[in-house]
Amino acid sequence: MIAAYRSAVAEALTDGRRFAGLHATAGGALVRAAFAAPDGSIRLESVAAQDGRVPSIVDLVPAAGWDEREAADLYGLGFDGHEPLRPLVDHDLDLEHWTVPVQGADAYQIAVGPIHAGVIESGHFRFHVVGDRILHVDARLFYKHRGLERAAEGRPLEAGLAHAMRACAACAVTNSVAYAHACEEALGLRPTGDLARVRTILLELERMWSHLNDISAVCAGVGLAAGNTCFAALTEQARRLNATLTGHRFGFGSVRVGGSALDLDDGTVAGARDEVSAIAAVARRGWRELLFNSSFQDRLPDIGAVSLEDARSLGAVGPAARASGLSDDVRATSDRLAYDGFAAVALARPTGDARSRLEQRALELNQCFALLDDLLDRRIEPAAAVTGAEPEAIGIGRVESPRGATLCIVEQAAGRIERLRLRTGSYANWPVVAHAAVGDLLPDFPLINKSFELCYACVDR
Amino acid sequence: MLTLLRDLRHLRRSLALPAPDRGRSLAVRHVDAGSCNGCEHELTLASAPQYDLERFGFGIVASPRHADVLLVTGPVTNRMHAPLLVAYNAMPEPRRVVAFGDCALGRGVLGLASELVGSVEDVLPVDVRVPGCPPTPDAVAAAMIELCDRVGV
Repeated sequence: MIAAYRSAVAEALTDGRRFAGLHATAGGALVRAAFAAPDGSIRLESVAAQDGRVPSIVDLVPAAGWDEREAADLYGLGFDGHEPLRPLVDHDLDLEHWTVPVQGADAYQIAVGPIHAGVIESGHFRFHVVGDRILHVDARLFYKHRGLERAAEGRPLEAGLAHAMRACAACAVTNSVAYAHACEEALGLRPTGDLARVRTILLELERMWSHLNDISAVCAGVGLAAGNTCFAALTEQARRLNATLTGHRFGFGSVRVGGSALDLDDGTVAGARDEVSAIAAVARRGWRELLFNSSFQDRLPDIGAVSLEDARSLGAVGPAARASGLSDDVRATSDRLAYDGFAAVALARPTGDARSRLEQRALELNQCFALLDDLLDRRIEPAAAVTGAEPEAIGIGRVESPRGATLCIVEQAAGRIERLRLRTGSYANWPVVAHAAVGDLLPDFPLINKSFELCYACVDR
Repeated sequence: MLTLLRDLRHLRRSLALPAPDRGRSLAVRHVDAGSCNGCEHELTLASAPQYDLERFGFGIVASPRHADVLLVTGPVTNRMHAPLLVAYNAMPEPRRVVAFGDCALGRGVLGLASELVGSVEDVLPVDVRVPGCPPTPDAVAAAMIELCDRVGV
């Protein structure tokens, strides 16, 4: 049984499949690991816990490290072979239990957070340094853990949507669509073309403001006020456009399970398309200015570099992974969304540093403008999913957020949630941030962090 | 660079709020006590040229020791309870607390009761309540101006 699970996991990792998430089922009875194939299909491998213990797979899949630590803390499971099994969500243990020991002459620690100097979410970073040089970073998140997933257990499928959406405002649409896809798969529903289109529009609107915000944040990290305010103004315009179209600046409530109520006439949609091209014009001009600003450009190369092999083994996703040369983008295989003919954009030289991540975002922002221009070509009408498959006990939704692949798994019985698991792009990428900072200077960390621009809220849940 | 600055001047002319009527100032420290990041994103945009909160004399300061106002977002989680109190206790008197957003006001909060302490009101004395999920950047400005009027800064 145990050997079968590990060999099944090893086999699941062949043929280009990548790890997509691991979770304990309700009550800690089983552990399920998900693997995504290049064609977008998901394969699940499960193992039953015996006396509260399951075999670890971190030696096969380093990217599963946080998932196993979370399952240990929240569902009380032991993972044989995961040594030492450090707490992740559990904050009750002393420093030596959750940090990596760093010894040697002149090595010391700098503790930052959970409250930061700017308007930033709460999280703690413990830097092990010599002088200004970072040897190791222990990221301790989950300060904002609200128990959203466990609170959803036992509730009807429709009620779980709010739990996924409110996990994170910056990924609200992505999380909602991933949840809706998971529920629809469980209920045996398929989206129509119209439903796929409206959700794709909402996802790209979220990507637009998010990428504009991220470029603004990198400018702020460098101290370039002109770039920061230019892209902040564009972020505001993009969020106002969201409010015009959905009634909410972050698109809260715009996605439903089994359909869409959004009803926008030709004039409104045409106006939105004009606004997107107005934003695109200023964004392109602003980006060109950034490219020719030497004091800005000098700060970015060679810091926070992540090699292609590290990006793959640590499980990096999204623009951060693509900046290191991985081509994965869930949009290319999203048959429940309107991304026909989509191909991920790639840098000519993906070097995996802060500059590559910023340039990758700028490329994807351009692609996002073009996608919206294509999709906003006619009115948006209410749409519903149709019956098209057998209902299933487990539904899976996988959607590309502005920060990378987000996996939502819903295990249900008789229309009620038995287990909800949301693994967002930020969750996958936080261990990569900690790794990227190693060897760099401490004052560069805020910039490295901003070049990933991850959320804490949807990790902590 | 000149292009950027020219665009910004244009934005301020066409979109910015009217100038404040008199000089006043409050230093604000923000603490995220468990929000969904919506309040933080809207607070960040209060500095965007469309609002430019600094023009009204409101700035975010790095330390609670330099702050007049503690602006708290989110329902207070178990793990943020102690850091929130540390920040509050580090502030000089007189100090004021703004509960920012529906979660901070204890309205419509999702999650496990065993992971949450309660609303900001349950933990700290609250002076200004700003509803909204999340409140818009204009609401940030309105709340700060109201607080200024009330304390007579």
